[in-house]
Amino acid sequence: MKRRTVLLLGVLALFVSTLGFAGIGAASTGHEGDGQVVPPGGGVVPPQETQDLVNPPAPHDAAGSVMHPNYALLDHDAQNVLTTGKPISTLNTCGQCHDVDFIVEHNYHASLGLDDLGTAGSTESGRAWDTSNGPFGRWNPITYRYLTPPGDHLVDLTTPEWIMTLGTRHPGSGPATTARDGSDLETRSSDQADPEASVLDPVTGETIAWDWETSGVEELNCFLCHLPNPAGDARTAEIGSGNFAWAGTATLAHTSLVTQSTDGWEWNPGAFNSLGQVAGDRLPIRKPTSEACSQCHGTVHTGEEPLTAADLDEGWSTLTTGQIYSDQRLSDSGLNFRDKEDLSRAWDIHAERGLDCVSCHSSINNGAQVQEDNATKPDHLVYDPRRSDLGDYLNKPLHEFAKGDTAQGTVAPQYDNTMRTCTGCHDPAESHQWLPYQDRHMQVLACETCHIPSSMAPAAEQYDWTVIHEDGTPVVTMRGVNGPLDQSSTVISGFEPAILLREEADGTKRLSPYNLVGSWYWTHGTDADERPVRTIDLEAAYLDGGTYAPEIVTVFDTDGDGHLSDAELAIDSNEKEAAVAARLASLGLSDPRIVGEVQPYSVTHGVVGGEWAVKDCQECHSKDSRLAQAIQLGNHTPGGVVPTFIGDGNTESTGFMDVQDDGSISYHPETTSGEISILGSTAGGWVDWVGLAAFLGVLAGIMLHAALRFWGRRKYGPPHHAETREAYLYSRYERFWHWMQAAVIIALVFTGTVIHWPGTATAFTWMIFAHNILALLLVINAVVALVDALATGFIKEFIPSPQGFFSKAIQQTTFYVKGIFMGEPHPFEKVEGEKLNPLQQATYFGILNVLLPAQIITGILIWGAQRWPDLTSNLGGLGFLLPVHTLIAWFFAAFVIMHVYLTTTGPTPLASIKGMITGWEEVEVMDEEVVS
Amino acid sequence: MTSEDSTGPDAAANTEETTDGGNRRDWVIGLIAIILLIVGPIVIYTGVSSSVQAATTDDPWSGIATRDPHTDHSKLMTGPYETGSDVTKACLECHEDAGEDMLHSEHWLWENPPVSLPGRAEPVSTGKKNTINNFCTGIQGNETKCTSCHAGYGWEDETFDFEDETKIDCLVCHDQSGQYVKGGSGYVAEGVDLVAAAGSVGTPTRDNCGTCHFNGGGGNAVKHGDLDSTMLHPNETIDYHMGALDFQCVDCHETVDHQIPGTMTSVKLVDDLPVACTDCHSIEPHEDERLNSHTDRVACETCHIPQYAVDDPTKLWWDWSTAGQDGVSDDPHEYLKIKGSFVYGENVIPEYYWFNGTADRYLLGDPIDPDGVTHLNYPNGSIDDPNAVIYPFKVHRANQPYDAVNNYFIQPHLAGEDGYWTTFDWPSALAIGAEDTNMEYSGEYGFARSDMYWAVNHQVAPASDALQCTACHSDDGRLDWEALGYIGDPMDTAGRRTSGSDG
Repeated sequence: MKRRTVLLLGVLALFVSTLGFAGIGAASTGHEGDGQVVPPGGGVVPPQETQDLVNPPAPHDAAGSVMHPNYALLDHDAQNVLTTGKPISTLNTCGQCHDVDFIVEHNYHASLGLDDLGTAGSTESGRAWDTSNGPFGRWNPITYRYLTPPGDHLVDLTTPEWIMTLGTRHPGSGPATTARDGSDLETRSSDQADPEASVLDPVTGETIAWDWETSGVEELNCFLCHLPNPAGDARTAEIGSGNFAWAGTATLAHTSLVTQSTDGWEWNPGAFNSLGQVAGDRLPIRKPTSEACSQCHGTVHTGEEPLTAADLDEGWSTLTTGQIYSDQRLSDSGLNFRDKEDLSRAWDIHAERGLDCVSCHSSINNGAQVQEDNATKPDHLVYDPRRSDLGDYLNKPLHEFAKGDTAQGTVAPQYDNTMRTCTGCHDPAESHQWLPYQDRHMQVLACETCHIPSSMAPAAEQYDWTVIHEDGTPVVTMRGVNGPLDQSSTVISGFEPAILLREEADGTKRLSPYNLVGSWYWTHGTDADERPVRTIDLEAAYLDGGTYAPEIVTVFDTDGDGHLSDAELAIDSNEKEAAVAARLASLGLSDPRIVGEVQPYSVTHGVVGGEWAVKDCQECHSKDSRLAQAIQLGNHTPGGVVPTFIGDGNTESTGFMDVQDDGSISYHPETTSGEISILGSTAGGWVDWVGLAAFLGVLAGIMLHAALRFWGRRKYGPPHHAETREAYLYSRYERFWHWMQAAVIIALVFTGTVIHWPGTATAFTWMIFAHNILALLLVINAVVALVDALATGFIKEFIPSPQGFFSKAIQQTTFYVKGIFMGEPHPFEKVEGEKLNPLQQATYFGILNVLLPAQIITGILIWGAQRWPDLTSNLGGLGFLLPVHTLIAWFFAAFVIMHVYLTTTGPTPLASIKGMITGWEEVEVMDEEVVS
Repeated sequence: MTSEDSTGPDAAANTEETTDGGNRRDWVIGLIAIILLIVGPIVIYTGVSSSVQAATTDDPWSGIATRDPHTDHSKLMTGPYETGSDVTKACLECHEDAGEDMLHSEHWLWENPPVSLPGRAEPVSTGKKNTINNFCTGIQGNETKCTSCHAGYGWEDETFDFEDETKIDCLVCHDQSGQYVKGGSGYVAEGVDLVAAAGSVGTPTRDNCGTCHFNGGGGNAVKHGDLDSTMLHPNETIDYHMGALDFQCVDCHETVDHQIPGTMTSVKLVDDLPVACTDCHSIEPHEDERLNSHTDRVACETCHIPQYAVDDPTKLWWDWSTAGQDGVSDDPHEYLKIKGSFVYGENVIPEYYWFNGTADRYLLGDPIDPDGVTHLNYPNGSIDDPNAVIYPFKVHRANQPYDAVNNYFIQPHLAGEDGYWTTFDWPSALAIGAEDTNMEYSGEYGFARSDMYWAVNHQVAPASDALQCTACHSDDGRLDWEALGYIGDPMDTAGRRTSGSDG
């Protein structure tokens, strides 16, 4: 970039010198008389296009809408500001054409919860001091300051001070013009005791009266969003110094209309036409750019200038979630990423594809965007052309914007899910043909979970207000970065969001990405009157004349260097906690205590296309599944207080908190419960321990048995079998069936094991396919065999005959645990048509009637979770079926080794195996001949 | 149940042989059947074969013909050689057809078969031999200088014998000794070791081609914006194919019988032997359908060559009218007394025009509008041309001499004792130049604007540096939609155009 600038300068310099040559040429060459005709327009100056080649100007005008007419700027009294010199009244000015009453009235950006104010503790957040769901009344531990409700004797933020501080992210009107009772603030009389007409003196801690007449009120600032280049800083400065009436005028500081001097703002008559109107091109009005939204909502970046750390400063969503909306490739940015060269993706695919904020968050009555909810739209309609007329819309544009339903989104709840969701534009079925079990994945995963693999900017992890720095700021920990952004050694890694279950608008619970921010702070008062300790009180408790009070240093300065580092600045001992509590109590605060809370923030921007999405099966289907990953909430746990989830987040918080020995605290989401279970991520659970125990138990038994046989053989000599004979025991089909089933079962156990403990990703997908096919073969083979057995009567062999069964079983057991060691003959003769001894009959009866059907049914249900999700969930859900299936698989594995071992107990060790291969088996002949 | 009646060891013993044999056969057949039954469905269902196939196409060399190692000629070509032609004669002893092939090649003839152009009665034959440009403007009369890049020896004037095989210069393309240099009229320069050169011959490398093609227009990076000496040893950001993959020119310009494919519309108006990205790449190579949907209207080069002249500045403007001044210090990037003043640009954003692979052509003698800009080779194509795509160009703009009465450009005589570069006298240089090209010179001259269009198709950037959507589809995008024939950004207007049918 720099290089191109330098180059451009170089080229410009060349032009200058070329012009110089032209001059010299005219003066000195004397060729004019040689027949040279100088064509009109010369030709000696390089054409403008040549300059453009190196750095062409935009062929389009990026300014305002060409439709916007010239208009007069009016003040509060509807007089032209040129004549009065007063600040502009945006409502009077824009109200010349637009229905500003309508716009202000239907405008959550303006009201911010003013309409919604109730008594403290009346909201669902769970905080005893919240008075509304909007930023005007809802406390936030990041901004910390508390809008004091009437009646509180400890005042933190009054209305004027709310405007001066938090109000810089408020566009005006609502609480900046209207009192809580609906009256005009402008007419409110100064009153030291009125939290709407006073401010807190930070020195004395007493309130002093506020003169609304002098400050004026802050009307809804149309320019802030509708100018291509609003002067946000100048506006903030005016608001911050209490000159509310001038905020709108200051927003025009980047135009030629006003200039600021020490006396204030002055209108520039030269910028107005003879009618006292300003031409549209001097004050270009347009639909809000993404940059306009970014003034409050988070980092937006367009253009080729590299995005740098300075761009990450103020954005709310960037701070809380690391979201950045930019078409720039990460590798082209000025941020110091790990493996930056490989990050050739844009921050957000939608930004890259030319969508701006209002593409999705459009005005709800914008005729170009409005779309009826699928819930009410008749099925036969694809598109409904009935919508507001353009003129009506421009007169009464609804300033309520389509929104989703984020975890932190307590604002404007009546407009939740008015926005097109991913599937409102995309057809995922079409683009996810490659994805195995597509339906199942779509049922349980939000699109964002795979398409926002990581948030690529630092985001808040922990806000610790239980301690403060000497400048009054809390100790803040950011995730996704390894140090302060202003240090060159700092590397940004971004972070993988936590994945929590969330109920979506369609009623389905899906796993969705979040950042979780842990906050700890002091509160005081009884449970009903609980309030966060004011910053003014925190400072009084910690500081003494701007530096830490000696009592604080004594307790906190563990290394004794007289300086409190961030590591020391943490309440990690009872002593520290007691010391601070005592100092807070001495300020008159009752029962000061530490409270911890967790606020989930939905991650919905920073979307990547398919190429960059999570596609590797192992990312989720493995022991380290990103779906089950813990997320750290703090590198220390102030006061040992385990935080609780805020009450109005729309996520499930059924996981658990885990405080480590080093004091750090993490949240472990629960992603294997009920209806959701992630293949491959549950390996090593209790099922595996039970299964392994069964398997090892059988193995140990076999080894013991074999050892005893070996011992018996040495002691009693070779088995003294009676006579043996060759018997044709197994028909061709039987043998085929047996080996087919053996091969399939072994292959099923193998593929199942790989699925349970995934190896490489491709193997995982392949193994699932193979497992399904093998299972199908097993079922077919079993069914054909069953039909055959029923048809031929062969099945009778498998049915234990009730008569004398137990005595026979005991006889057989006695043989296995005793006789076999002494070389005794088998108690029952193996003859054609009666090959199975009673124990075998019992075992097969169990396997064929219980284990095999159970395995087949659980397998089908697991496979069918995507076809018939209701059936699967009614029969226990994957959270139940998968462990059962795994456990039975362990039993099958145990059965296989026992089965193989027992084949060696014939007259010779290999006799039975040979029999199953050739059909002919050497069997013992009993004394009492049994005739077949 | 049991299919065989035999019971008891005797019976078994009697049938042992057959049974064993039968069993072994059964066993084998059974085993095979089981394996087939299990593996068959899995293979069919998971499509193992398709994934194997997909893997092979990732090899960047899969589209490139493999060559046998070149024969070591050092023992074969022992000389001694007096002249370049002596080497050529030796070459032709074995490579009997090569001479005949070369005699029909563009590199030898500098002229292309006649083609019909709209608005002209007769087909026209263009080539370096007879076609005007806006650099040094043309070779006629200036042969001794220009033909130092001719693949032959001794093209001094129009009497050169284009049928004489022994005048072919084999070494300029095949020398690998690195010390072979050509001088005036294409003759071998002084001091070249011809035996070493002849013994070193091999497949042409970037150095061979670059000798002329990187230096067209009289110096490095003058003519082509996308071919310059940085490409002798490029890194991947200069040219992905040559930098990251070490492609040689002839890997893409795959040559058969000395006919080298590839066309630049500065000299050749119809692309009968094209080289295209799609020779190796699919026309829909992107994972992303939205990107693939661009490929019928947007050339690959448009997105994949975001800038040209990446690391060496190229000439964008040449003003002949300021030439001949004394007292101005020469700087090859700013001003030369013999040539006038220049503007160079580095990392230049191309200009974009519809292009169907052919171009119109200004021919010597065509009238010009001296007040306007004459397009010497305007790319053919428009939004309504189904074969046209939006294509990146370097546009070289110039102010060059013309006959102010007859209103046509004249190629001045530049080289030699009576050329402008010696005399600095336009009237005589133009008079001689007119004579060389069989034109009439009125005696009155001026300078008029001309543009030349150079398609940009080298210096392909790594995919990660390709243009993104907003490079064009944004308020400050690089395409001028209205100029291209769209109502506005087709993203906003559903692709509708100002004329023709929708597409």
